[in-house]
Amino acid sequence: MVEKFLAGSAALFGDPITIAIFVFGVIGGMLFGAIPGVSMLTLAAILLPFTADLDPAQGVMLFAVIYCTGTYGGAITAILFNIPGAPENAPTAFDGYPMTRQGKSGKAVGAAVLCSAIGGVASALVMMAATEPLANWAIRNIGPPEIFALVFFGLAVASSVGGRTIWKGWMSVLLGLLIATIGQDPVGGINRYNFGFTDLAAGIAFVPAILGFFAVSEIFVQAEKKATGQYDAPKVGMSFPSVLELWAHKFAVVRSILVGFFCGILPGIGATLAAFMGYGEAVRWSKNKEEFGKGKLEGVISSETANNAATGAAMIPLLALGLPGGALTAMMVAVFQMHDLEPGPLVFYNSPELIWIVFAAMFYANLSILFIGLIETKTILYLLKIPFQFLAPLILLLATIGAYISRGLVLDVMVMFGAGIIGFLLRRTGYSIPGIVLGLILGKIGEQNFAQGMQMVHYDMITYFSRPICTILIIAGTLTLAAGVYRAFSSPKEAG
Amino acid sequence: MGQLTKAHLVEGAAWSLIVVVFFGYSFEFNQSIEIYKFGATGWPRVILLLLLLVTAGNFYYQFRHGSAIQKGRVGIAETDEPETDYSDPATLLKVAGVLLTPFIFAYLLKPVGMYSGAPVFIALVIYLFGERRWKWILGITLLIYAILLGLFVVVLNAPLPQGNVSPFYDFSGFILKMNTNLQNLW
Repeated sequence: MVEKFLAGSAALFGDPITIAIFVFGVIGGMLFGAIPGVSMLTLAAILLPFTADLDPAQGVMLFAVIYCTGTYGGAITAILFNIPGAPENAPTAFDGYPMTRQGKSGKAVGAAVLCSAIGGVASALVMMAATEPLANWAIRNIGPPEIFALVFFGLAVASSVGGRTIWKGWMSVLLGLLIATIGQDPVGGINRYNFGFTDLAAGIAFVPAILGFFAVSEIFVQAEKKATGQYDAPKVGMSFPSVLELWAHKFAVVRSILVGFFCGILPGIGATLAAFMGYGEAVRWSKNKEEFGKGKLEGVISSETANNAATGAAMIPLLALGLPGGALTAMMVAVFQMHDLEPGPLVFYNSPELIWIVFAAMFYANLSILFIGLIETKTILYLLKIPFQFLAPLILLLATIGAYISRGLVLDVMVMFGAGIIGFLLRRTGYSIPGIVLGLILGKIGEQNFAQGMQMVHYDMITYFSRPICTILIIAGTLTLAAGVYRAFSSPKEAG
Repeated sequence: MGQLTKAHLVEGAAWSLIVVVFFGYSFEFNQSIEIYKFGATGWPRVILLLLLLVTAGNFYYQFRHGSAIQKGRVGIAETDEPETDYSDPATLLKVAGVLLTPFIFAYLLKPVGMYSGAPVFIALVIYLFGERRWKWILGITLLIYAILLGLFVVVLNAPLPQGNVSPFYDFSGFILKMNTNLQNLW
């Protein structure tokens, strides 16, 4: 493995053009991830056509690097503006944004930098060592029933965080699931809920929806505060977390790496669920559960470690099975196809040099998060000093471009602003925006895998539950829901 | 009425309406799928049933506890934010302006295009956010417009809406021609 890694590193750093593409990916991913309103997906969508002119290894490597650094970059906006750069950064905002309001933005961003790098590097190392054996294990043990069971468990966990009550948490997730049913059904291709709009046959694209629910609704919330004289500019805090503070969360880091890697490895799940489950597990194991969501450093650490730990793992189903784990890895499939390659087990035999350039690039990209991230953090924190009336139009304009550019549809811009208004109203009444977004993302995956799973077991639930991973996940999800029901009917209110 | 307020009733009615509309519309695509027992409507209808149940649960909770936060909830960032006072019509007008302006901009993107629409939109948003110094409005508008052109047009060649009505379409053509000339310089 070491020889292959060194060969990959040599190929990466031996060619000036490849180095330039790597540097572009690192900086571009961080920058687009950290600009409120656009994300790494925007950059990837813009770059996709240009990868046709690149060498296949360069094209795939560029996207892998953007994936690593963009996942980190999205944490910056989540912490500073309550606008996650990508859905996988949504749980980061739970505690990161309250920390900013308390003048601890430096601590939160510093922790995000370090934990993103640790999670990413650990994931890259495990990815290099374990891709082939894990791929073999996954082929034998993970099928549609298991993926559906994991989606069920993930949604159960997600509904327990974010909403003002458990009911609102569930309603948020169910609303996301309902929105995901718009468009063609994943089994028969029948149009559902297009309400007469032909463009809706392709469904609600999640980039505009995410931009609307997070970025636009946050602008609207701030606009309301401005209009009513309640606006309070976030405080800039430059102090980074101390070594002792970070060391105190070592178990959270290790736990989140495991959770992130496990979620990332499963096809179709990606880093979003990893971040939610990393955060959920941090809450579950904490002695001070009530402190989460009010500016607890462990919340940022858990979410950011888990989502970056999923980036390396997400490469495993992509490279070993040809199954993308999320939007960006789906674009990577397109890069493969542009070069007449099919991601899958044969890539390891036909193009091993491509695989190891990508692995090496991801390793170094995660390392560069640590160095470049720490340098740029202080610069980025000055974004908070820009008056919001000047930042808001920039964010709205970038979000408009981000929504429009992926499919070239003005309808997506309308969807984004519609989602912005819905998000604005739902936030005011205590619903969970991340819950809606997770439901939206996992809805189609869940339905598709449920349908395939049911066909596999011939609609026989005994056969379904004879699969141990399914049984464990379904029981865990059911217990999570049952605990929520118990709390909903038994626990007294906390505040008015 | 327990702890229920008018807002809770509106909220409950809105969710029920969503369930009713989506359930009613599901008959439009109520087709069986040969290879799948539950058809195209199975999954959405289960979601709607669950949504109806939790809406009822939410209503019951609000009846008992009003808008109180349930004990032990995590990840709520806005717990300490005060309720907004809309008794002043000017406030309502300002917020409505902010909510509607992006929609109007989005609606006009097709005929007017990004290149002509963006500067007006930027200036309007700055104004709606309370900035009244016209020099600042103009300066920041130009700066953001320059960032838009520099990053997305010159560097990334991103395809932005050009509009389909003259003179907006002609203006977009002029910007793109300038960009082509600029690209040809290097």
